[in-house]
Amino acid sequence: MGRRRLRGHRGDAVGALPEAIAALSQTLPAGPSPEIFRRAKFDRPEAAPALWQLLFRVLSPLPADGASASPASPTSPALEAQVHLVKSALRSQGYPRRALAQLPEDGSQGSRELLLALAWLLARGPLLEQLLAQTRVRLGDEIPLCECEALASAGPLPPRQEADGPVDIRHLQWLMGKLRFQWRNLITSQQEQCALLGKIHSYTRGCHSDRSLGHLSVAETELFRDPEGGRQLLQRLESENARLEAALVWWRQELVFWKWMDTVLGACPLEASQPTFLPRIPTVGASELELVARELQALHEELRGVAEPRRVAWEARAGGWGPEWTAVQRASQEAVGRELATLQRAWEQGEALAQTHGPRRLVKRDAGASGGPGLRAAELIGVLRSRETCLEAVLGRLQTRCWQELTRLAGARPGLLWILPPGR
Amino acid sequence: MLPADCSRRLVAELRDALDACAERQRQLERSLRVSRRLLRTWEPETPAAEPAPGPETNEEVPPPACTPSRQELKELELLTQALEKAVRVRKSMSKAGERHKALSLKSGDAATSASTASAPSRASSQAGSQASETKPPRGAHQTTVPARGLPEGRLPSVGDRTRMARGARATKPGPGLRDQQITASAAPQAPEAFTLKEKGLWAQFSSTQTSDSRDAATTAKTQFLQKMKMTSGWPGSGLSAAEVEAEVGLLRKACSLLRWRMEEELSADPADWMQEYHCLLTLEGLQAITGRCLHRVQELRAAVAGQQLKPWPEGRCPRASMPCEGRTDSSWSPQLLLYSSTKELQTLAALRLRVAMLEQQIHLEKVLMAELFPLVSTRDPQGPSWLVLCRAVHSLLCEGGERFLTILRDEPAD
Repeated sequence: MGRRRLRGHRGDAVGALPEAIAALSQTLPAGPSPEIFRRAKFDRPEAAPALWQLLFRVLSPLPADGASASPASPTSPALEAQVHLVKSALRSQGYPRRALAQLPEDGSQGSRELLLALAWLLARGPLLEQLLAQTRVRLGDEIPLCECEALASAGPLPPRQEADGPVDIRHLQWLMGKLRFQWRNLITSQQEQCALLGKIHSYTRGCHSDRSLGHLSVAETELFRDPEGGRQLLQRLESENARLEAALVWWRQELVFWKWMDTVLGACPLEASQPTFLPRIPTVGASELELVARELQALHEELRGVAEPRRVAWEARAGGWGPEWTAVQRASQEAVGRELATLQRAWEQGEALAQTHGPRRLVKRDAGASGGPGLRAAELIGVLRSRETCLEAVLGRLQTRCWQELTRLAGARPGLLWILPPGR
Repeated sequence: MLPADCSRRLVAELRDALDACAERQRQLERSLRVSRRLLRTWEPETPAAEPAPGPETNEEVPPPACTPSRQELKELELLTQALEKAVRVRKSMSKAGERHKALSLKSGDAATSASTASAPSRASSQAGSQASETKPPRGAHQTTVPARGLPEGRLPSVGDRTRMARGARATKPGPGLRDQQITASAAPQAPEAFTLKEKGLWAQFSSTQTSDSRDAATTAKTQFLQKMKMTSGWPGSGLSAAEVEAEVGLLRKACSLLRWRMEEELSADPADWMQEYHCLLTLEGLQAITGRCLHRVQELRAAVAGQQLKPWPEGRCPRASMPCEGRTDSSWSPQLLLYSSTKELQTLAALRLRVAMLEQQIHLEKVLMAELFPLVSTRDPQGPSWLVLCRAVHSLLCEGGERFLTILRDEPAD
């Protein structure tokens, strides 16, 4: 703690830097004390574990709602596992500095590098906003709508014992059957939950102070029943408010922080220009890429197969057509160009279901009630139905393709009757 | 029997799917337990005690709809007497109620300065608690009981404020119940006051997003990122694994959209030569786009190969640890999903699950196709296990594992 260099440098911004860092550390979940930040600038080893834990917390998906009580749950992994995950996550997001990958796995070194990594994450995207939104106290009822939520709440997956050795195909059939059964169970449970929610919402109609909501949610009803839980909820709300206020302070002061980070970066030795090679191991992503490549290739072949003969036939017919033909031709080309551009935008600019992203509070309101902000279930049902039809068509197409392929392969053994099961 | 590596991959895929399903089930079970527990206090009592649905929709409705029937009042009085005994046991809960009220009075003041909605909101909570008295009478009693243990000094102060705010709403059934209503509303006021304050803070956020200081900060951040990149010794193609994954997702979507468009064109019957030409141009355009996508795939392949990306731990990666990025940009007020009946909600939830299930099925179908077809073509058709394999493959791939075909030897009749 000896050096007071900051004072000499920053002039009137002296007080602002500690304030900014304090605000940042209060906004972050599991934020370390400002002292840690200061030590990290000078690469002190004692600051490293806290920063590893901070990065782990920031980079790993949140556990499911049930674990909201204790942020530092006893089941959080050991420091080494955290180090490992932080390194992988940063690498996957494209962290440019090699020094991070070379830090020891026991988490004892590298506080300055970790500080740079944190700053990098903060600079790249709306990290704080996302963290605050993630940990926001949600009083309302929700049904899982978007896939991201379902995945995010799954938490870090434990490593599984893989079955080694050859497997009978009947095992696969059994697993498929089990999956179908589980889905059916899931749907039934979900229907029950919806019925219960409907009842609770009806019974508590008129109890909420917020007229636009009109009724209580499960969490709020529990508040009535359980004052102890109410106290806990109050505490959570209090701490969330404190974090929000800290975040506001941070956003007012963050320029000072970035100037300071420049000095931190300056204090680092330059990396050697020739990189050491990490062993290349095929990633999970690579196989997905291969799948897509194969699909696109197949599609390309099919398109060529239908387009070429038509072009040939067309050319043969369109021989001696007059000058008005070229104008028509150009018009058609433009029209087709526009249509295809629209098509391209459909996948490049994200899904039509963008409005289903993010948590939404369920509110029961009579159909006749006048509009207000909020997504109507009926609209969402319409969107989902069309998506369902689309997906069913895709699945049907895939299954037909499989059937055609199998028929072709079955030709290798003639003299058999293949009797199909009764139609779907 | 399937070869070892193929088995491992397929079993892993199916088990992933099962795990995802099981996780959803676990979360549902958790919510179900809570909901069932809450409803137990309402439902076991006679459902006949529920009054007509009139009061639900409009609190301004004149007394007859709001006032519980004479019989219900009697029942309530009886229950109140019985519960008074329980108050002695619940002395400790009264302390909690006291603290709640203290906090609510304090934060109520804070909330008033933060937002003007607090006064009418407190009024409506009075009406609300009254309605809650009539609808689930027993349930509300549980919370009002602790309040009876509170010092009398508190009740009038809250009562005064609320009585002033309520004004003309003189539809209270009786003095005994009135006290209970007022104090019943006190308990949830504290968190509501906090949520109001919180809403104010979130609203301040969206205003800070657009100020000038943000621009300076953004510039500083961009400069920092560039410096970081320059100080690293890594050549890097600039693509991270997360970005590759995102692009692969886009390409997958592109492929299915292109295919759908192609099939639309092929199934349409061109009525005249102009439509034929249109169709031809579309197909050629689709072919060109597919070609460009394939080119992009090659580029991605090269990037992945050249980058030497480190693998995820244990081959399983958390997908995009920051999902739903678009949401944080929009307003911070909580988004609502409005439904009008239980049936509607059930339909919505069932559809959502069905869509998720179909997506999973399609993914599994593609994986199974990629793994099983090579097996069928490479295995000896005359061998003993080939037919078994074909039958199983047909069932898995063409019938979703639900039905099986039968294979008969076509013997000529003698």
